[in-house]
Amino acid sequence: MLLSACVSAADRAVAATIAAGRWVVVPVSLLLFLQWPLRDLVWSYSSQANDLAQWLFALYVSLAMTYATRERAHLAADAFAERYAAPIRGRIARVALSVCVVPWSLFVLIAGTPMVWRSVAQLEAFPETYNPGYFIIKASALLLAALVLIQALLDMTGSDRRG
Amino acid sequence: MEAAGLAMLALVILLMIASGLPAFIVLIGVSVVFAAFGVCSGAFSYSLLTALPARLSGLLETDLLQALPLYVLMGALLDHLPLADILFRAGARVFSGTPAAPLLSAIGVGAMLAPMNGSVGASAATLSRVIHPRLISRGTSAERSLSIVCVVSTLGVVVPPSLVLILLGDTMLRAHTEAINATGVRARVINTQDVFQGALIPAGLFLITCIALAWWLGRRAVADAAPPGRPLGPGEWVVAILAPLFIVGLLASVVTGYMYAVEAAATGALVLALSGLATRTLRGEVLATVLRDTMAVTGALFAIFVAATTFTLVFRAFGSDRLLAVAVAQLSGSPTGTAVAVLAFIGACALVLDAFEIILVVVPVVMPPVLMQIPDPVWMAVLTLLVLQASFLVPPFGYAVMMARTRIAQRLDLHLVVRALAPFVCAQLLVLAAVIAMPQLTRLAKPGATAPAPLSDEEVRRRLDAIPGINPQ
Repeated sequence: MLLSACVSAADRAVAATIAAGRWVVVPVSLLLFLQWPLRDLVWSYSSQANDLAQWLFALYVSLAMTYATRERAHLAADAFAERYAAPIRGRIARVALSVCVVPWSLFVLIAGTPMVWRSVAQLEAFPETYNPGYFIIKASALLLAALVLIQALLDMTGSDRRG
Repeated sequence: MEAAGLAMLALVILLMIASGLPAFIVLIGVSVVFAAFGVCSGAFSYSLLTALPARLSGLLETDLLQALPLYVLMGALLDHLPLADILFRAGARVFSGTPAAPLLSAIGVGAMLAPMNGSVGASAATLSRVIHPRLISRGTSAERSLSIVCVVSTLGVVVPPSLVLILLGDTMLRAHTEAINATGVRARVINTQDVFQGALIPAGLFLITCIALAWWLGRRAVADAAPPGRPLGPGEWVVAILAPLFIVGLLASVVTGYMYAVEAAATGALVLALSGLATRTLRGEVLATVLRDTMAVTGALFAIFVAATTFTLVFRAFGSDRLLAVAVAQLSGSPTGTAVAVLAFIGACALVLDAFEIILVVVPVVMPPVLMQIPDPVWMAVLTLLVLQASFLVPPFGYAVMMARTRIAQRLDLHLVVRALAPFVCAQLLVLAAVIAMPQLTRLAKPGATAPAPLSDEEVRRRLDAIPGINPQ
């Protein structure tokens, strides 16, 4: 009962986090478009627009990878495997999640934490332009791995809420 | 132990087909198992693997990859806004003097939209919905219609500045850099714009051939077998005239280097979104669907990048890249023979893998040793694109064929599909053969470009000497 409530709460938290991120593609597009007039017409602020778009992009794709999992949008060559019965496919998926995805995401989290911690602690700026926010890109790598891990655990428990 | 990487590659292909699991899970899974094996057997140290988080962070800060969500957004907008429909109807009106008008219009719409769309899959989805029912309603057979949808869906592979071209350009840049570093040769490293310009003439040749074929195949069609459809209103004519001008302008600005591909993609996405808002076709549920589709497809594509980054790290940790370099070096005596052998391998992979998987997993491991022998990376890049396009068109497993057949949800006799696709596949192979025989076709669009000097026997021997593990006879 308690486990089920926790799973449900985690599922809702992941869904809400990702849903908020869907709009990030709009400012990313706007900023990357603005780069061109800022560079060729205004002759300034182009690098700021690029750097801002860069860390928004990093956040966006970190969320998007798990969103694709929830929407079952990942690329797969299943012309042959579509003949398998649904329970067999489910079992294959659960084994793959526990043997492949969970260890991978744990490894990225463990091996990446010192690097990200150093970057966040000093609020690392972009190395070439000195604009702030570079640490967000590094933190996004951990966010990506953390979301992949949580989603894999949710899928292994059989949670099937989408969106 | 160096052969472990090749076993990884084979296992990935096998598991992708046999398990039906998402490609990114298969890539990560194979990498995890082989990484554990490599560390336990002492083939490489654990500390080498700790480079992975930094490599993933590097992916997130790659300027070029910012184009990914923008192209996907453009694809989603094209799929949900009426632009493709307006262009098709306008094309049918413009070519109304010939019975082949619907086929010609379909080719024209595909040539404009496919490079702006995210991928072959996205193009097949949009064009199946827009073109197929209209061709059917105008008396085109279902097989012929399917073949046209397949062909135009793959135009984005060769017509710049598509996402496939951008990603291949970036992968070739890395492969060429690696080849130059390994051999110590002084050469300018290929960039994405070189690939755009190199692909222009072959893409143009294929497009002209397709237009000629469409006219030839459609010339005996029964004109107006069905009502021609709702006539275009003045506003739609304005859109039909401005859209091609805008698209051509955008392509030209990228190919000539005036705009970066990322900026062009952002401009395209923004103009499409604004036109949707202005015409009130992009609001409410449509906008929500566009944002949902964009995030899901972006995530699916980025997952391949993440998994491929993990895979190539482990592959190289085993030293399998050096083994592959040796194998490619011993493939054939002539650079053209080497190119053909490697392209055949890539073509075979394309029967089961998507373009992105090939570009991110296969090309990075096979191309550096090829470029150590072949001094013309633009030529190799364009040949790779043409081979990918041809593989997508070969039924029954060609990616575009499978996608379009799924999308039109109509069971068609495979023999008739093969017959309908045959002229286009032959045309594609002819262009491929022409580019193999005449590498200068990839340099015609770049003023002042000259062919890299052919390698002398001594130079080939020197380069082979520079590759670790090779002792030429």
